Order: sequence, then C-alpha cells, then structure tokens
Amino acid sequence: MTGEDLAVKDGEHGPIIRLHNIVIGYESEDPLVKIPNLEISPGEIVAIAGPSGVGKTTLLRTIAGLVKPLSGTVEVCGKVNPSLPSRGEVGYVPQRLGLIRHASVMHNVMLGANAGHKPHWYFPPSSTAKEHALEAISSMGLMDKIEEPVRRLSGGQQRRVATARALAQSPKLIMADEFLSELDEGTMQTVLASVIDYVRSSSAALLVVEHDISRAKSMADRLLVIDDGRVNPFITETTAMEVKV
Amino acid sequence: MGIVALMTVLMSLLIMDGMVDDWGRLSGGLDNLVVFFHQSLWPPDWSVIEPQAYPVCTAHPALDFTCSTAWIGMIETLKIAFVSTVFGMIISLPFSLLAARNLNPRWISYPSRFILSASRSLPSIIWAIFFVILVGFGPLSGTLAMTVYTVGYLGKLQYESIEGMSKTPLYASDAMGLSKFETAVNVVIPECANDLISHAIFMFEYNFRHGTIIGIVGAGGIGYYINLYLKFLQYDKVIAYLIIIFFVVIILDMISIYARSFFNEEGDSSSPSWFGVFVPEILTSGLRRLRGQ
Repeated sequence: MTGEDLAVKDGEHGPIIRLHNIVIGYESEDPLVKIPNLEISPGEIVAIAGPSGVGKTTLLRTIAGLVKPLSGTVEVCGKVNPSLPSRGEVGYVPQRLGLIRHASVMHNVMLGANAGHKPHWYFPPSSTAKEHALEAISSMGLMDKIEEPVRRLSGGQQRRVATARALAQSPKLIMADEFLSELDEGTMQTVLASVIDYVRSSSAALLVVEHDISRAKSMADRLLVIDDGRVNPFITETTAMEVKV
Repeated sequence: MGIVALMTVLMSLLIMDGMVDDWGRLSGGLDNLVVFFHQSLWPPDWSVIEPQAYPVCTAHPALDFTCSTAWIGMIETLKIAFVSTVFGMIISLPFSLLAARNLNPRWISYPSRFILSASRSLPSIIWAIFFVILVGFGPLSGTLAMTVYTVGYLGKLQYESIEGMSKTPLYASDAMGLSKFETAVNVVIPECANDLISHAIFMFEYNFRHGTIIGIVGAGGIGYYINLYLKFLQYDKVIAYLIIIFFVVIILDMISIYARSFFNEEGDSSSPSWFGVFVPEILTSGLRRLRGQ
C-alpha cells in the first residue's frame, strides 16, 4: 500500500493534517511507526487502531507537537513542524485525560473554552468562552456535576469532562485517545454523537485512537490499522473496512 | 544495605571519637545537670505568667495572664511566624514556578533555584542578626528575617511538589496552546494546591519554633525575655518560658496535623481525631477491634 493511497483529495480547504515521510518514535535506533504520506481533511473522521504499544499514542503526541518526529514533516492547520499547536486549534483528549483532579468540572472545561475563545491570556474573562463551556458540559450530560471536583467523578464521567474540554475549544482538530473507554453503551453513543455533530457542522477533523477495531469501524470515515511489530511498520488502509458514518 | 548501614554507624562513631577529647566529660555532665536542675531550674518561676507591674493591666482578672511577659512574647512570636509565612509564600510561589524544571528550561529554572538556595543558606537567626543591624531591634527585623528564610525553604518544598505533579495536565495544556502564565495559574497551582497549602501550614509551625529564638538577637518575640533572664542568670524563669513554648509547640503541631488532613487526597488518609493524635496507633487499632470495626 503506497503513501499516495492515504492522501485525500483536497476540496476547497487544505488538509488539517499532513504527514510526509515521517518516522515516529523516541529513539532513532528504535522507531515505532513510519508514515510515507497521510492527510486528513476538514470534516473527516479517521480512526487509528492497533494493539497496545505499537505507537498510536505516540503518533497523536507527535501531531500535537508534544513529541518531535525522528524525521519527516508534520503539518497541522497549515503550520509545518510546529513546536506546539497555535492557541485553541487542537483539542486533545489524552489517554490519561490530563484533568486537574482537585479543580471542578467547570474549571477544567473553561481551560479549553479560554484556549479557543480568549485570544490571549491577558484578555479579560470572556462570556463567549463561558457559553461554549456550558454548552459542552451540557452536551456531555454533566450539568449536575458542574461544580464537583473532578476527583470525585467516575472514570467515565472524567472522560466526558476531558471531551467537553476539547469541544469547548471549538478546535479545528480533535485528537482523542481512547475517549470512549469506560463509558456504557448509551453514554458512548451520546458522546460520540455530540463529537461527530461538532466535527461535521464545523468542518473540523477528528483523529481517534481506538484499540477496539469494531468500535473504530463503526465511528470513522477511514480506518487506519498500525501493524504489530516495531521495526519498519507501515500504516495500512483497510479499504474493505471503510464505513461511512 | 545492612552492611552499608553498619559501616555508616561505625564511621559516625569514629568521627565522634575524634571530635571528643575527653569522654569523661559526658559522665561529669550528667552530674552537673542534676545539680543545675535542683539548684537553678526547678521549680520554674511562674511569675512569668503574672501581669507585669507596668504598663498597668486593664484586662479582666480572669484574663490578667494576657498582660504577662510570657503571653506578650508568645503572641508576638505567633504574629512574626504568621506574617512571615504569608509573605514568604507570596514571594516564594513565583520563584518556585520558575524553578520547576518541568515548566521552564534550565536557563530560567537554575537561577531561580539559586536564589531560593541563597535565601535558605543562612539559618533564620543569622538573617535576624543581619536585619537587626539593618532596621534595628524589634519584631520587624524578626519578621523580615523569617520571611527571607521562608522564601527559600518553602520555595524548595513548592518546586519539588510542582515537579512531582502528573505530566498529563501539562501535555493537555501545551496541546491547547495555553500560555505559560495560564498553565501556571490555571493548571499547576490548582493541581498542586493540596501540597502547597500543606507546606504552608507546616512552614507556619516551623517558623513559630524558630521564632522563639530569634528574640535572643533582639528580633522580637519570646526569645527576648529568655535572653534577658539568661543574662540575669534567672534560670527558673527561663525554664518556665521553655515549658510554655513546649506546650504551645505541641498544640500547634496538633493543629497543623489536623489542618493538613483536609488537604490530603481523599481515600489516602482520613482526618485524624484528637484521640488518635494522643493515643498510640497500637492502642487505637486494638480499641477498633474490640468495637468490631
């Protein structure tokens, strides 16, 4: 499978993510993933699946600018090899959530809202940011927990807070690492519907890491499977598993 | 590990033997202590908790101890400890945020650490001597001295807590594109708040203990009276002050334990009861078993 197959024809807008000849990993002697070419367009939902330890999370961190690629080019929202994303452009839901456990749900979600709707840190508090934060919390069904410290919530509720934080940003790109774990079926469908609704309506992109291939199939426009094996693995696109959402 | 511990103890004994020229002084010292105790120290002179002759005490007779030198000195020491802790924390927090290696590059964190090290390099009593020379005798010099020391000591505790925090909130903050200032104020401080508050409470208790002696160099507090009566060789008054300090430190320690319990992780420990503070764990666990808990 060649790299060109992973590129998507551009429409009116350039791709949100463009990876070219990148090698991802923490040590050059031990690369995790090599990607000849990958593009993700606005409004697209791409899932990355694969067993534990193959580099899925590292791929997300590399795109987020938290880890430098060993080689190659990462372009996110038009910026090439950014040290970190621009303010509010990337909504990141890490696997371990990255929530402030002693702060309330509102405080955590407002971080995302301020990143997306307050141009600079020294600007006064923004009512727009607060509206987006409340909207995101409501879409995740957490209005009754809004002042609750996050540490008192269940794992599933905390995961929803992290997702609300990303949505409140109104980002161009949402990257979520196992964001549907620990959710019951009904809650999972609600959360997924809110995120997909945002992605489609705002022409953002969603890049999801999911270890469950069947779940990944059901949510994504495209599914990319990282093969097991740490030496010279390639992203392969399994066209037979494409499912239109 | 056992051999290392044994070697360490043996080395310590050898070094101590080298420092002491006459071990007979130790046994002689015990005899001296007994004589000193009976002739000079005991019984304590409790006139230190009686109201002073001047200024005239206007308090209610049941509260006339509030006009005593012990009370006045103790309250002054508490005030010095409190003010220096508060101002020390206000000044140390920005430095500790700069000094944390997980937040800043080396060229920022190392100079900040240097400043914090420098301010705690001298004990607070040495700083007190310096400030007495600078601003004169009294509680102001004591407060300034304890504040400087607090900045260094508390700053170190703070940046170590900050460096120990989970990295994931910082990753999320970076990915969102938040500024360093926003990350510090809205992510780091809330995440570390429990530790920061706990350290501050500990620092207050620490400052009180050290504040009792800075008066010896004229920097205010109960140490002034201790030094005064030491010079007059009135050791029975000195021991009375020391007993009072001992009990106040115990009470402060208990309050500190109780207050800090509110800032522990829920589920890691429960708030201690006053009973549990006084009674050893071996007895409390036995009582719980009897009650069937």
